[in-house]
Amino acid sequence: MLYELNNLKMIYGKRAVLDLPHLSVEAGRIVGLLGPNGAGKTTLLEIFAFLLGPTSGELRFHGKKVDYENNRLRELRRRVVIVQQHPIMFTVTVGKNLEFPLNIRKFPKQKREEVIDELLDLVGMREFKHARAHNLSGGETQRIAIARALACQPEVILFDEPTASVDVENQMTIERIVREINQEKKISVIFTTHDMNQAARLADEIVFLFEGRLAQSTYENIFSGQILPGENGDPYCLVQNTLKLGVNKGNMGPVRIAIDPNAIQVSQTADEPPPPNSFKGRLVQLTEEKNKVRALVDVGVPLSVLISKKELEAMSLGVGSSIWLTCPPESIEII
Amino acid sequence: MQFLLDSFHSALLLLWSVDPELVEIVSVSLKVSSSSTLIASLVGVPAGFFIAFREFPGKRLLMTILNTLLALPTVVIGLFVYAFISRRGILGVLNLLYTQKAMIIGQVILIIPIITVFTISAISRIDERYRKTAMTLGANALQTAWVIIREARFAIMAAVIAAFGRVIAEVGISMMLGGNAKGFTRTMTTAMALEYDKGEFVLGVALGIVLLTISFGLNIFFNYIQGRARV
Repeated sequence: MLYELNNLKMIYGKRAVLDLPHLSVEAGRIVGLLGPNGAGKTTLLEIFAFLLGPTSGELRFHGKKVDYENNRLRELRRRVVIVQQHPIMFTVTVGKNLEFPLNIRKFPKQKREEVIDELLDLVGMREFKHARAHNLSGGETQRIAIARALACQPEVILFDEPTASVDVENQMTIERIVREINQEKKISVIFTTHDMNQAARLADEIVFLFEGRLAQSTYENIFSGQILPGENGDPYCLVQNTLKLGVNKGNMGPVRIAIDPNAIQVSQTADEPPPPNSFKGRLVQLTEEKNKVRALVDVGVPLSVLISKKELEAMSLGVGSSIWLTCPPESIEII
Repeated sequence: MQFLLDSFHSALLLLWSVDPELVEIVSVSLKVSSSSTLIASLVGVPAGFFIAFREFPGKRLLMTILNTLLALPTVVIGLFVYAFISRRGILGVLNLLYTQKAMIIGQVILIIPIITVFTISAISRIDERYRKTAMTLGANALQTAWVIIREARFAIMAAVIAAFGRVIAEVGISMMLGGNAKGFTRTMTTAMALEYDKGEFVLGVALGIVLLTISFGLNIFFNYIQGRARV
């Protein structure tokens, strides 16, 4: 196992940012850490990069327990490198940025230029060698940061949201580079993303994180709400003061809920009176997703629903159509 | 008014003729001020770096003390150092009083707080990502520190230049510890004070012009370097 962690906790103040009973990552693969903002993805990645030590619990690297007490972390750091979400360039030229890791590793001077040129070719940025690294765009910076990370000749590269701040063209390039790094250079890759499609495209394995814990799948349609007692005793969850969602169980008070987009039912009309948990909304966006279609429906709050293509055709829905959504209580999970 | 214009005119002539006394005074000034700035930088920059990066008990108190020391009057330093190095002082046997070394000691005390405080603020402004990037690329503590100092180089250079400006323009320490001995410890400022006492303005005005020109030249040089790095 490349990484193995047991009962790992990371606590800032009183908040547990990470609480992971067990997680293992195999070497040689591309692993995606998927989760919304604040899930603890970056923190976990920095722990994998040996930049942060956990508050408690153990991390094993190639089966060996990481010792945070002694000053041995630099040896480990030299085998793993992280490319941050907004990578920062030293205020020297692109070439000098790439030379930094080589210089630190006392790489023979006469071979440096050759390595730097090769890496710049890999990311398609040879002509930027003498450019000032600070003047690059977001996507270009990201690509140079990848080349700089590769100059460390690591076993593992960790990418934090590799395409969060770049345009579509650069996004494609970066994903291609990540695949090449893994397949041709045999470097293990772990990356974080909040984009399910990217995770599916790129990763051999996906780990779902939510609020510092491992989740079965990624939560969608996440809302903050309040569970209140209903008139007839059945509790309901009030979201944004507009949506009243009947729930099966739950303690009174503020909660966070997630509504499974696969479990929401769609219809064009509703019985009178409408069944519980049914809301009329306006279809505002349709996107293809694998063999299904994702519909974004505004019912006072935006709800994301996955429907089959057949269903969509049968109902002849288009953007702007008004439709009814029914969220069965079992589609609502309190998280 | 005419008197000032006349002095100014004579001062320019004195500068033009490269008066040997004037050259001597300027060179003593530059030598003493550069030495004290160099020594204070060697202490103040690493100290500022250390304070900015480490958490330790009493850090806030230390910061408050350093900030207070920014307002330390030169005459207080003069008095304090005098107490140590005068014949009756515990360091009296070293015969330091009225030497350039004594002036340098006083000036170093004056500007260490300036360099330290400005270094702390320069380092604190450097993005945390530089540290993490250097570390993940395999740098050790010293190499990481070097990266951060390199990123903060202009702000640190500005601190050093401000400190130099402070010592070359101060008069209290030079007068009290140097004694304004002609040819040995007479600096631009002490000479100007003496000329004022004598009621003669020509040399004073000439020295004033030199002093301002040096500051002006330094700042032009600094701006030039900064400008080149930004291209």
